[in-house]
Parts: sequence; C-alpha cells; structure tokens
Amino acid sequence: MIAFESVAKRYPGGIQALSEVSFSLQPGELAFLTGHSGAGKSTLLRLIALLERPSRGRVLFDGRNVSKLARRRIPYLRRRIGVIFQDHRLLSDRRVFDNVALPLVIAGLPYGEIKRRVRAALDKVGLLDKERMYPPMLSGGEQQRVGIARAIVGKPPLVLADEPTGNLDPELSAELMRFFLQLNELGVTLLIASHDLDLIRRLGRRVLVLKSGQLIDDGLSVAGDHR
Amino acid sequence: MSRSARDSSDRPVSRLRAWARRHAYSLLSSLGALTRQPLSAAMTCMVLAVALSLPLGLHVTVDNVAQLSRSWERLDSLSVFLDAGTGDEQAMRIATRLASWPEVLAVDPISPAEGLRDLSGQLSLGELTDAIPDNPLPWVLEVVPAGQADIAELAVRLEAKPGVDLVIVDLQWLERLDAMLGLIANAVRLMALLFALGVVFIVGNTIRMEIHNRREEIEVLALVGATSGFIRRPFLYSGLWFGLLGGLVAWLLIRVGLFSLGAPIERMGMAYGTEFSLTAPSAAVNALLIGGSGLLGVIGSWLVVDQYVRKINPG
Repeated sequence: MIAFESVAKRYPGGIQALSEVSFSLQPGELAFLTGHSGAGKSTLLRLIALLERPSRGRVLFDGRNVSKLARRRIPYLRRRIGVIFQDHRLLSDRRVFDNVALPLVIAGLPYGEIKRRVRAALDKVGLLDKERMYPPMLSGGEQQRVGIARAIVGKPPLVLADEPTGNLDPELSAELMRFFLQLNELGVTLLIASHDLDLIRRLGRRVLVLKSGQLIDDGLSVAGDHR
Repeated sequence: MSRSARDSSDRPVSRLRAWARRHAYSLLSSLGALTRQPLSAAMTCMVLAVALSLPLGLHVTVDNVAQLSRSWERLDSLSVFLDAGTGDEQAMRIATRLASWPEVLAVDPISPAEGLRDLSGQLSLGELTDAIPDNPLPWVLEVVPAGQADIAELAVRLEAKPGVDLVIVDLQWLERLDAMLGLIANAVRLMALLFALGVVFIVGNTIRMEIHNRREEIEVLALVGATSGFIRRPFLYSGLWFGLLGGLVAWLLIRVGLFSLGAPIERMGMAYGTEFSLTAPSAAVNALLIGGSGLLGVIGSWLVVDQYVRKINPG
C-alpha cells in the first residue's frame, strides 16, 4: 500500500526531519509509528498525505511514486487517505453533520447519499444523536470521534492517525484502539503515530520506531498478542 | 472541472450533476460568509461604491454639460454685416436669397435704425438716436443655420457673397468648452482606470482578510481532498458579490445625487429661459459599471486566492 524508499526530508533552515527512511506497509496492515516528539512521526505522515514533498527518495502509494505527483492530482490522492489529528481539526462553526459530510460534499455526491453515509459513519463512532451539535459543545473524546467519522466517511483504503489518543484518558484510548482494530478487520490499512507505548505493547502489532529522523526499529511489539 | 468528478461516477450526466452540486455548495458557502459578517461586508461594499461613484459622477457631469453645449450650439446664429450704405431694398433682397439656402434655417434682418435702438437700450444711453444724426450702423442679417450645417463653412460662403462686409461667428467659446470637455472626458477615463484598479485591490485585500479568518477551514478542506478550484470558488464568488453590490450601490448613489440635483437644475434652466433636465447614465453605462465591477471583484479575489492555494498543495 505504502512504501518509503530512502526518504529524506530536510526543512529550509537545515533541520533534518527524516533521513534514509525505508519501509513498506501491505494492504490491510495495521502498524504503529512511535518515537519521541520531534522524531519525525508527523513529518512521515505528512509526506504520505502529500502535505509535504520529500527532499530525497521515493514515496510509493499503490506502487505509484507520489513524490512526483502533479500538483493538481494531489486532491485525488488525499481522497483515498483518511487523516485523524490529535487536535481534531474540526470546523467549529459547522455542525457535526456538516463536518463529517465535508469529504463527500467535495466529491460532489448527491445529498441523499451524503446523508446516508454520514449517518452510518456517525453511528459507527456512536455519535448519531449529536449530529446537529457544534464541535465546541462536545467533549474532547467526542470531538476526536467526529474527526474519525470524517476520516472514514469516504471509505478510504488508508487511514493515518497522528497521536489520536494524545488528549484522551486511558479508558477512552483503549476504546479508540479497539475501534481501529475493528476498522482494520474490515480491510482498512492503518498507520497510527502514537507515543502511548503501554497501549501499543499490549496490542502486539507491528511497530515502527523513529529516532531523530531515522527508522531504528521495525517489528512486532513485545507483549503478548491480544487475540 | 469535470476531471474532479471522475471518482464519483464516470457517466457524463452524473459528472455534470456532481459539478453543479459542488458549484451550488460554493455559492451558498460564499453567501454564508457574507451574511456571517454583515457589517464588514457592508463596509467593503460602501468603500467600493464610493470609489466607483466618483468616476461615474464625473462622467454624468461631463455628459450633461456636453449635452447642454450641443443645445447652445443649435441656438447660435451668425451675424452677417452688410456693406455700409447698403439700401433697404438690397438688404431685403440678400436676406430673401440667403433664406432659400438649405443650410440656413432663418434670416432675421436688422435695420440700422433697429440696431441703434437695441444698442442704446442695452447700454442704457437713453435716446441715442437723437444724439447721433447719422446712423453709422450697417444692415445686419442674423442667420440661424440649419441643424446639420457646418457653421464654419457657411461663414466662409457668406463672407464671399457680394454686398457682405463681415461675418461674425461667436463659436470660439463653444469650441473652447468642447475642447475642455474632451479633456475632462479623458481625465474621467483615466480616473475610471485608476478606480478600477482600486476596486481590484480593495476586494483583494478584503478577500485576503477573509482567507486569513478561514485559514483553518481551507486547510481542512485541502486535507480531505478539495481541489484548488473547490477551495478557490467560494472566494471568487465573494469577490463577485462585493463587486456587484459595490457597483449597485454606486449606481444608487448617482441616482440619489441626480434626484436631489434635479429640482435646482430645472429652476436654474428656467431662470436662463431654457428647458434643461439632468440625464441619468445610460443602461449601457450602468451595465458596464455593475458588470465590470463584478468582474474586477473576481479578478481581485483570484489574485489573492491563487497565491494562497499554491501554498497548500506543494508543487
């Protein structure tokens, strides 16, 4: 699904965010991306969604080199990727329904279909009764779930999450992870950046470890398999 | 545009529908943004209207003065002085002959005695006729040219006639006025150009602030796969609304101005013994004003939005 081949990212000003990063993620795989803050986790995710271009190396999506993708093709790539942020990135002046509907509105779907799919996505995250509310009226955990509903409403084959459990208490975090596992079982590929090592260890999934912009470990987490 | 619909469906009809739906969304979204901040939107429209009404108002003024000068030109006559000592009979003969010319509308012969009476009346010298035993004034024929006649050419022809001493055409001040009006009309065009540029920058700046306020929304839109066109469109519509509303209010300002000046102008015209009323700008000028202003709004918006959208999708 995704492959990094000797990818480096250097920001103007000489900050080396990533260097020589190579790995690949198979379709249907779920992997965690971990490391200290500033290790390059967010940069790596931003490179996949083409919010940034790599300075060197190739980023492949479905076998195609997206580093060379024309500017006008970028939006179509992003429609195949659902992104979840730690700070939710919701529009506070739009209702929950409209927030979740955004990717479908952009795709130009008919209203009936939008309504059906938004309801389904909100139902999946357990917020169907909150569709007429505005994000600031919701708790942090609920806002995060609205963000997730927006990320999955377009049924993207790949979901990226940047510190999704960052602001949640342990119980909510565990619940969120269970949700991601469910999503993965439906065939969605997930790459989740997180520094919640305890939680990751318990899940026994593949973990990519970044340190100062380099990939220093790539393997299954040590603790027992949850299955 | 149709390219962007390919992931919803490949049938052309549904592609068109998807395109129309996205357009409707952008349109509504731009109207929503406008009504969310009615005060700042109204202020921008007012600034635009004032900027637009200045050249338009000047245009209306020049237009009206030009019309007035055309009506004066028609009232103008040529004074044909006959040779001194021309007898009454001969003067009348010349007058009759001139009256038959196609470029002459009317001939009004003024005898030396009449002329002296007029003159003494104008100068309030009392009975000048009594003081001057030998009337020095010649016969004068007041020739009113026909509407389409070339007055300068007519003057030359009249002067060449035997028995004619002098032709006086008092057109110089009208020519000067015409030249001045031409100059002012050019200045109006130059001003209109400057103010058009002003509209582009005013709208551009307003849209820039709007983009700044909605930066988060734009980023989120880009993130979930909005094309540059989709992000740009609501702002282009906003620019269009600002331009159209600004043009419309400018038109309204001019109408109000004309209305409030109408009565005094009519009174002034009556005082001068002519009928004169102000002419409003033509429909073509109004269409140019409002349509052009809308277009300028779109251009101003485009200049700013395009720059911003490029930053979101790294090339």
